[in-house]
Amino acid sequence: IFIIQIYNLLSSFQITHYKQYPPNISKVYSYFECRHKKGGQYNEVVFFGLQYLLKKYLAGRVVTEEKIQEAKVFYQMHFKQSVFDEEGWRKVLEKYDGRLPIRIKAVPEGKIIPRGNVLFTVENTDPDFFWLTNYIETMLLQMWYPITVATISREFKKILAKHLKATSGSLEGLDLKLHDFGYRGVSSQESAALGGAAHLVNFCSTDTVAGLLMAQRYYACPMAGFSIPAAEHSTIISWGKSREKDAFECLLDQFPSGPVAVVSDSYDIFKACKHIWGDKLKERVMERSEDSALIIRPDSGDPAETLIEVIKILEECFGCSQNSVGYKVLPSYLRIIQGDGIDLNSINEILEKLSDEGWSAENVFFGCGSALLQKINRDTLNCAFKCSYVETNGKGMDVYKQPVTDPSKGSKRGRLCLRRNSDGFIETVERGAGKPHEDMLVTVFENGTILQEYTLDEIRKAAQLWEEDVSPSEHNKEDDTSLEIHQKHIINGVH
Amino acid sequence: MNGLFQKGEGLQTLVGPPLLLLHKDSCPLGKLEGKKLHEICSSSVTHYKQYPPNTSKVYSYFECREKKTEPTKLRKVKYDKTVFYGLQYILHRYLKGQVVTREKIQEAKEVYREHFQDDVFNEKGWNYILEKYNGHLPIEIKAVPEGSVIPRGNVLFTVVSTDPECYWLTNWVETILVQIWYPITVATNSREQKKILAKYLMETSGSLEGLEYKLHDFGYRGVSSQETAGIGASAHLVNFKGTDTVAGICVIKKYYGTKDPVPGFSVPAAEHSTITAWGKDHEKDAFEHIIKQFPSVPVSIVSDSYDIYNACEKIWGEDLRGLIEMRSADAPLVVRPDSGNPLDTVLKVLEILGKKFPLVENSKGYKVLPPYIRVIQGDGVDINTLQEIVEGMKEHRWSIENIAFGSGGALLQKLTRDLLNCSFKCSYVVTNGLGVNVFKDPVADPNKRSKKGRLSLHRTPSGDFVTLEEGKGDLEEYGEDLLHTVFRNGKIVKTYTFDEVRDNAKLKESELEDLLL
Repeated sequence: IFIIQIYNLLSSFQITHYKQYPPNISKVYSYFECRHKKGGQYNEVVFFGLQYLLKKYLAGRVVTEEKIQEAKVFYQMHFKQSVFDEEGWRKVLEKYDGRLPIRIKAVPEGKIIPRGNVLFTVENTDPDFFWLTNYIETMLLQMWYPITVATISREFKKILAKHLKATSGSLEGLDLKLHDFGYRGVSSQESAALGGAAHLVNFCSTDTVAGLLMAQRYYACPMAGFSIPAAEHSTIISWGKSREKDAFECLLDQFPSGPVAVVSDSYDIFKACKHIWGDKLKERVMERSEDSALIIRPDSGDPAETLIEVIKILEECFGCSQNSVGYKVLPSYLRIIQGDGIDLNSINEILEKLSDEGWSAENVFFGCGSALLQKINRDTLNCAFKCSYVETNGKGMDVYKQPVTDPSKGSKRGRLCLRRNSDGFIETVERGAGKPHEDMLVTVFENGTILQEYTLDEIRKAAQLWEEDVSPSEHNKEDDTSLEIHQKHIINGVH
Repeated sequence: MNGLFQKGEGLQTLVGPPLLLLHKDSCPLGKLEGKKLHEICSSSVTHYKQYPPNTSKVYSYFECREKKTEPTKLRKVKYDKTVFYGLQYILHRYLKGQVVTREKIQEAKEVYREHFQDDVFNEKGWNYILEKYNGHLPIEIKAVPEGSVIPRGNVLFTVVSTDPECYWLTNWVETILVQIWYPITVATNSREQKKILAKYLMETSGSLEGLEYKLHDFGYRGVSSQETAGIGASAHLVNFKGTDTVAGICVIKKYYGTKDPVPGFSVPAAEHSTITAWGKDHEKDAFEHIIKQFPSVPVSIVSDSYDIYNACEKIWGEDLRGLIEMRSADAPLVVRPDSGNPLDTVLKVLEILGKKFPLVENSKGYKVLPPYIRVIQGDGVDINTLQEIVEGMKEHRWSIENIAFGSGGALLQKLTRDLLNCSFKCSYVVTNGLGVNVFKDPVADPNKRSKKGRLSLHRTPSGDFVTLEEGKGDLEEYGEDLLHTVFRNGKIVKTYTFDEVRDNAKLKESELEDLLL
């Protein structure tokens, strides 16, 4: 029998920490933040994913006598000596029926918070269990992932919104513009689910089915995302090199209503567009309605150049029209999806090039795989979990690290609260100086029970783009720089 | 992975059945419980309609494509060869046995109808599998032995449908099988780092003793999920034995098995909270307390909470020196810096400790600290900085015996499918009874060209590996096919123990010789 458990919760060395704290310590209070780093790329983050971790790993009864025994045996072998705090865990079992005497206060999910602010705090509710706070550190640090995916996904949305508004006059269809292609490029099924769900905070299009299930199961959303029938190389090349046209035609036949995406670069994307789509199958394509568009997919070569060349070929073959703000749009039965090599830089480059050439962003959809779900890490937003306050011998003490070798690694001090100040900016108040009624942090978990839940709908609302994200040029430049000034004051450890 | 926090009866411990997160007992919304029905990209759901009519077989393969880079764009690290690892996990966890029930098929149909706003799900195909095979998958997978180290650009495994009605199944399992990129990439990147450490350890000390503990897995907190932690950590343990990511040990025990009770070890260690909780003026008390708690095993103590250099010089070097000198060679104090430029910090720490503790010159003429004190650098370590640090230490005449490394994000997270160009492609189909070799060959990118026809892997007379395409392996000129059938019609027919995996992946004599040239 294989039971994964206590030892799956934490990095090994943490099991020895109960012996390392000062004597008579009765409280350990820690917090999580996305540290502010000078010259960093992302100024604000989307808070998302805690509910999943709480429901899946931390709520309810989490330990049994059997598990304690097995953990004891396991650690004996892993450390080649006895270091496991058997007594401590048995107390959790006896006193709390295996539920964790911990309180977690957090920002509501979906909220957009500037870097360098506390996002959630963790403390033990019973003096005997001071060691428990940092016990769950490793697991809670994995919050870096859903936060980072949701944040990056929203950054994509800002870029798309800006260009869509500028080149079409509206934001219609924005939430279908970036399709999650990341399932195969992510490191595991569980990551696919979590990352997929995080993307769905901002968009509705995905091929990562696991994300839908995650949203359904943990965030009460019956169907969070949509997809369309699409070809892949095997379904084209299986017809043989000389029968690419037959392969394409089969797709049009099989999926007559509703959009269909057809990857067209198996041999030569440009010839496929010009001679097959634009000639041999031209009539079939033109027959399709706006709701059943053919979406042509290149998948190799330089993403921007390939796209421009493809759209030019399609313009030659099918013509185009001008929209209300003077940009060119392909006929409504024809669109393009670029799903190769897309990241925040290339998508901006592509949209810029398109608009320079007079094309509306309405013409293109994007697919993103590893840049959305895998090519990120804990350092992308400098996510950290640190102890900021302890009580020893009945006395409270603000604690922190402040390495001389790296001031940006300094941590916050004392008990923390998050509030909106009189200028309207969100800030963290340290040293227990915050007023409870101002505190934006909400108790979401206490002694094994989840006290506050959020639905994906609520989260989506909270994470919506703001006006200035969509139309930056229309906004008072003052506002942008004052946020930066404000950010400068939130460098950790400096007040 | 969530065993401590698992509710309900009879669930598999590692994140439940491949259904992933749905737990029928506790979620009223839980609809989709089918194993195989959702570990795929949505668009794959529609592929069964897209193959040529009368297709009766689809044959695909997986490789880590070679990438011919322009001479100007030379990568620092080449990754010429890859470690094949992780298939057994996927087979056990997601593909074997009965993977669908009637109920699950119904639920999948509903979910996909909502998701596509259309009826595209291949209900008939899945019912066929349920009825004829009791929900077992009629596919065959042949693969290179796990742990094998194979040059880029060679076939690593092939997948083919065994029932003409189920030609579409090959493609259905693609998404889940492509996720093997991750354990392959972790194991490969970890092994490349082992080569670097082996080279410098040998050069500066004359032996490889302790090599397997020189790179410790610190990556648990920096991965994207519990499941990833398990897979990635197990991949690192193919090459090393030091880990703090216990989930990896669980994966190994459950899916591979070892003769030892555990395949990975750790040591007691401090973290910032257990130092800072004592207050800024009590760093020495914290250090003293911790070092006394663990008198007879190695103990690692993070020393940069306030000033790493002061900690090394005054606290370790003076105030507590007596306590350290008492420790045996089996129980050293391991000083851990955790900030600043990695190379500079390591060199300065060694220099300070070298002034306070009596150095020895080893047989190769390099400086070694006394056996009761060592250093571990666990911040900012990746394959490039690792190379820089060991090279810098060698230049300053420090033996690599003095140091161990910890790596987190770079070991387990900062990797993508593009690093080794992992790719799954169709190479052969049978349509109207005729076999056809198929391939893609995009005009704009020759690197993306795929192999043709039925494939096999062989050794040439000179010992190199070669992939034969277009069924040429049948001709028997090149001897036996190194790909073995591991899975057929729902059953795993060949497994490897973790000991075998480690054995296949160990550094060869010839590699060590090449390193030391």
